[in-house]
Amino acid sequence: MSLYILSKEKLPAFVEALQAGFRVVGPVRTPTGFAFEEITQADQLQLDYTTTILPPKKYFLPQRETLFKYHTGSNPEGAQSVDVEPVFQDVQPTVIFGMHTCDMSGIMLYDKVFSEGFRDEHYMTRRDKMVIIGIECLHPCDDASFCKDMGTLTAPPIYDLHMTEVDDDYLIDTGSEKGERLLLNYSEAKMATTDHMQRLGRVLSAKWPRFRMRLKMSKDQTPSLLTLGYNAHIWEELGERCLACGSCTNVCPTCFCFDVQDELDINMQDGERVRVWDSCQLHEFALVAGGHNFRESKASRVRHRLMRKGKYIKQVHGLSGCTGCGRCERACLVDITIPGTLNALHDEMKVESGV
Amino acid sequence: MSAKPKIAFFDFTSCEGCQLTVIDALQTHLGLLDLVEIVQFREAMSEKGQNYQIAFVEGSCTRKSDEARLLAIREQASAVVALGACAHLGGVNSMKNRWPIENVQTYVYGQNGKDAYESYPARPISAVIKVDAVIPGCPIDRHEFLRVVQMMLQGRTPRLPDYPLCVECKLRENACLNTLGILCLGPITRAGCEAICPSYGDGCEGCRGWHPEANFDYMREILRGHGLSDHEIDARFTMFNHYQMEQMSGHAPLSEAVAPVTDTSLPTSSFAAPKED
Repeated sequence: MSLYILSKEKLPAFVEALQAGFRVVGPVRTPTGFAFEEITQADQLQLDYTTTILPPKKYFLPQRETLFKYHTGSNPEGAQSVDVEPVFQDVQPTVIFGMHTCDMSGIMLYDKVFSEGFRDEHYMTRRDKMVIIGIECLHPCDDASFCKDMGTLTAPPIYDLHMTEVDDDYLIDTGSEKGERLLLNYSEAKMATTDHMQRLGRVLSAKWPRFRMRLKMSKDQTPSLLTLGYNAHIWEELGERCLACGSCTNVCPTCFCFDVQDELDINMQDGERVRVWDSCQLHEFALVAGGHNFRESKASRVRHRLMRKGKYIKQVHGLSGCTGCGRCERACLVDITIPGTLNALHDEMKVESGV
Repeated sequence: MSAKPKIAFFDFTSCEGCQLTVIDALQTHLGLLDLVEIVQFREAMSEKGQNYQIAFVEGSCTRKSDEARLLAIREQASAVVALGACAHLGGVNSMKNRWPIENVQTYVYGQNGKDAYESYPARPISAVIKVDAVIPGCPIDRHEFLRVVQMMLQGRTPRLPDYPLCVECKLRENACLNTLGILCLGPITRAGCEAICPSYGDGCEGCRGWHPEANFDYMREILRGHGLSDHEIDARFTMFNHYQMEQMSGHAPLSEAVAPVTDTSLPTSSFAAPKED
């Protein structure tokens, strides 16, 4: 849409102005790295952060979310009754600053998952109040990143504003009218000139060589590779190593599975139904009534995760289930990685790489 | 609800910290007393009612004479709940099982120890009586205690999380201690405590016992990466879970025979053994 320019020194004033009307969230420094947290002071915002343990998905799908409260009792005739009180948790105007392009790709998938077919009102109601301000990645987060392979090194079309650091300025692209209004009402941004656009172009061209490719195949090839490799040996090896800790899925920006539980109040009559993040890597996940488990072995669960990331999600939603953010690789204590697995599968299947 | 179910608390070899947590829970969740009637609780009251339906037992069985008392509790109670790591696992008490019991008695109580003080290898109460539910931890988590009580009152079987602590740790967005050079047994330990120790920077010691898919081989690799010797790793694995490791020996091999250790002297201690009379 339109390109604006805001000098870096004007950013804190933009953040402070937004705080009057929004909860402002962004990457902040923690004792060991960075995390997305609510910004209470503008100088907490660290737009030059590398990565976070949890992606900003936690603001879109909280780890624990109350769906409704219930009250049980009996009516005057003595019949049991249940009253249900809908709850919409964490629905508030929120600006999320500094989302990397991989994490925006994750939210683009979430938007499809939670709106297509069954429309998830809890997600959508919260989502409507969110404003996404992306930041262009000019350097890889670290060696675990493989965003370039996964094609997520460019901002997906879900941002309201997208910022690129160009020398002492941010060049800000508007992705929505909402974003543009926000920028004009709360900041001192000015329209960018042709010169600014040229400077932006130079910064954007210069960034690509800094990112390396890690996959031996194109991302478009992963569905067929996984189909061929369904019975490969590597799954057993990985299953033996896997700690079944679920860290890979919990930190994943595209994993959205949840469990639904009822939590009873101490009075034994009232309670609430909550959903909490769940993981296909845990034993209980595919356990059904009667005791059968569709994915009893860890090997079948590791395979399932890779199938979801590289094939199934794409088949269902048309988008990759992996953004190449590298979080699962950083979180895994036994070095199970997506590029390592796909490359080993590629070697085992001896597929022509095509790249 | 008609008459409130009567419950009782009992202690065996333990520090009684789990019962203190229950007392604490009674202060923060007064509604609990609307659900149950406590008829015996040495830590909190002097009455000793013998008519109870649910027995909460803290502590491990470490003496022959404990067995009769456990059997009597089992005889009376419709349901027995193991309260905390000692009752659930044997807990830290079972560390002594690595040495011949006479050496332990002499080390702790002096030369006359083996005659003056009865002792035998520590075991969880489930080794002696049938246990219907478990509330793990050292100490227990009060919210889990409340959940288990509620589920029992509803006639449901209380279930424990069967996945590792890492799940809860990640949901809290803690940096992984194992990657920061701090030893943590979270990857093999049963969740349910909301990762309280790692959240405050202390590595997990496994007080809730192992989760059913605990991967000991790769946990050992991780601990070797911290520079631990196999002997030190075994010590970590057996701090709360000596009895479990012993029972699982085929599936969770230690680097040395679990018990008894060949060297029958006890490790040197900074605590002086009592002077002999």
